Amino acid sequence: MADRDTSTDAHKHSVFEELLSPSELFEARSRSHKIPVRGQKDFLPNGSEQQRARLQQSLDEHWTLLAEERVERLGNLVKAVWIPDERLVELQSPAGKFWQTMGFSERGKQYLRPEEALYLMECGNVQVFYRDLPLSIQEGYERFLSHETVTLHQYQVFGHLKRLGYVVNRFDPSSVPSTYERQLNLPASSWDKQRKQLKRKRSQSPVSSDKQNPSPVEKTTTEDQSEELVNASESPAGQTAPDPSLEESMQSADASDRTWWMEEDVQPPSAQSQSAAPRWDFSSISFPDLGSRRSRSVSLESPDPSLLPGALEVGGCDLSPWLRRLNVKQEKLSQRDRERQRERDRYHRDINSDREVRHCRNWAEYLQLVEDRRRRSQKDKPVHLWENEVTPLTQPGQCNSHRELLDQISIIKSSSLPEGVSSLSASDQWTISFDVYQPDTVAEFKKSQPGKPYTHMCVCSFDGPVPDLHALKQLSYQSGDVPVTFAVVDHGDISFYCFKDFKLPTDSY
Amino acid sequence: MVTCLDVQVCFGKVMDGDPAGMNVSQQSSSMEVNEDMDTKSESEHQPSKDALIDISFCGSTPLLWKVSDMKRCRSAGVIGALVGSLARQPRQNVRLGRPLELLQEEALLLEETSTAAASLQTQDCGDEEVHLEAVRQYEAGLESSYKEQCALALEDKKTVLRRIMDEKENGTDDSGNAIRDRLNALDQAFRFPLPAMAVQLHTARAGFSHCPEERSFHSTDWPVPRDERLNTRFCVYRDLRHKGFYLTSAGKFGGDFLVYPGDPLRFHAHFIALCISMDEELPLSDILAIARLGSNVKKTVLLCSPRSRSETEKDESVEGDVVYSSLQWSSMV
Repeated sequence: MADRDTSTDAHKHSVFEELLSPSELFEARSRSHKIPVRGQKDFLPNGSEQQRARLQQSLDEHWTLLAEERVERLGNLVKAVWIPDERLVELQSPAGKFWQTMGFSERGKQYLRPEEALYLMECGNVQVFYRDLPLSIQEGYERFLSHETVTLHQYQVFGHLKRLGYVVNRFDPSSVPSTYERQLNLPASSWDKQRKQLKRKRSQSPVSSDKQNPSPVEKTTTEDQSEELVNASESPAGQTAPDPSLEESMQSADASDRTWWMEEDVQPPSAQSQSAAPRWDFSSISFPDLGSRRSRSVSLESPDPSLLPGALEVGGCDLSPWLRRLNVKQEKLSQRDRERQRERDRYHRDINSDREVRHCRNWAEYLQLVEDRRRRSQKDKPVHLWENEVTPLTQPGQCNSHRELLDQISIIKSSSLPEGVSSLSASDQWTISFDVYQPDTVAEFKKSQPGKPYTHMCVCSFDGPVPDLHALKQLSYQSGDVPVTFAVVDHGDISFYCFKDFKLPTDSY
Repeated sequence: MVTCLDVQVCFGKVMDGDPAGMNVSQQSSSMEVNEDMDTKSESEHQPSKDALIDISFCGSTPLLWKVSDMKRCRSAGVIGALVGSLARQPRQNVRLGRPLELLQEEALLLEETSTAAASLQTQDCGDEEVHLEAVRQYEAGLESSYKEQCALALEDKKTVLRRIMDEKENGTDDSGNAIRDRLNALDQAFRFPLPAMAVQLHTARAGFSHCPEERSFHSTDWPVPRDERLNTRFCVYRDLRHKGFYLTSAGKFGGDFLVYPGDPLRFHAHFIALCISMDEELPLSDILAIARLGSNVKKTVLLCSPRSRSETEKDESVEGDVVYSSLQWSSMV
């Protein structure tokens, strides 16, 4: 310990007692880095000298380890400055290896978040200054950890995971793609981009940004869609006459950039030069049925000119080459297939072959017939069961399998976790704190494109309440398709819990 | 088939622990504060006002930073839990280092026995002159440390070269002469660059800025409110501590405290203490759960309830005794 010439104040003396002298600092270069292993514990204290000695030894070892101060070579330390207004730590010398997974750049400067800076201080990699004096780790805890940045519990979880090697970032709710975005499969989100790149390697399926594709693009408006459909049906692609006109109309279209398209190189679709396009009256437009066996029309007549845009002349269309290409032949079933179909149709009764149904002239009569039939069949049912308020859920002979039966008698419908989430209000008690990425991805980890996290961490403590269904639904919704793990902090001990979705089997074989 | 559950409930005072004599009772006479913290002291100090243990609060969590404070509170039987990185090996979770996190009950006990006080966070030193003086002192300290380390490094290098020279002189080749020349030239040629200097990264507050630390002596400044639950737990904690047991947190065991007969470094816990207030109702399923848990980890479950003040005949300022019940599975044979 230091022999410093301090002021007479006894309190001040105790403050400086943990200061190392230059000779001690110098000697610290050759310190051991091993941690002694703890031995077996005893069961009962018996006041023996042996126990006392062993306890003393353990305690001495304990205090030696704890009292050891961090001594680093000045050249190995990265110098940084704490900025309280922004609650960030700005680096003033070049960052080390930690920059690969921690920190961010802004306005040309390198910054560390307070929890990252504190962790690096504890590791002995960074020396943070405030008003030209270095901060101790105690001061780091006092200044960096707060409700606005990261609480002590959250920092404990952060440190625990970082010491194990995980990459931990603060959670940003806007970075999670919503279900709608995932459905649209937007390439702009970096999350999906990584996944997409993997996908492309496996299959050759074309991506939606194929600009030469004349078929309707997914994001067309309804008017465009109907127009292109009409064009397609009236003039199947490949004919010379309509195609140039189609392209022509496209080119003459409004060339103003439509910014809602994600792919800017796709040609804008057929113009909607008028802001209010006329609505088609589909009841008067007949769409020709080319596929069914019953239609015998081999040619289509030319469409009503009022339906066509601009000054187009469309003649009649001969469909025979197309019908030849369409497979309108009867399906030739194998023996087994035919048998299977017979089995399926064994009890099939065509409702139109029922004489009484044919006698019905309208829906009302049909429903009346159904009701009469039902009442007649009910006469076979036991009255005491069926005529009261509470009736059985199913009848004998109504179900073919256990699953159907269980479905019919299940009064309590099973629900899945994402159900009803949109109606839930946000709660500030349960929030996701961190994104966690696995340690073995550190080599390829890119801060700009981290990809999908391994899990989302929610920090709570044993003193607080257990997450209820409301919290679970809301958190899993907020988290997207990334699992949520709960890190429960109990006085320094951290346990991890997660909830797994489970479906009860409904069919028995 | 009817299954019988026989839970054997024992009433009575828990046997006094502490046969190893680690804890001296609170009525020891006051002693001078021992400034030399290197010697391991087993008796508890009755501290004078200016040597209280500093409890610094991070939010509502009490933390201890100085090793001397930790030693003193351990000698008072307060164990705590280490939650920071260990300086020697910061990137592992097996053994953690400073700070020491205290339970609310532990901090309250230390405060009650006037062993510790909450230290308020240091404010930024308003006086610019004082601050500049502090910066100057710090930089002067670095400068002198550098010079000393330079000299030490030079000496060290000389020693190494001399040793090699001695070894070579036993040999027959001429390399010994080359080394002697190097040794002689060392005083001029030796370079100890600034980045090679060793620097200390302080764990506890280093006191560079000379602003005095403020301490709070009023219980109204205690950052954690005392609700009924905390009071119950504190009563049980204090009572068990007075009986000589060591206690740590038992969240993972489903209880409130783990009770050790001696220092947790050397002994296993014997009991899981669950603190319930006298009039609290506990469903039977909870009792079954904790009994089952206790038997799985081979520890006895203690249900502890402080006796309410009205029940004690004596008019004490302190609450009455704590009633203990232990749970044990027993078989019907």
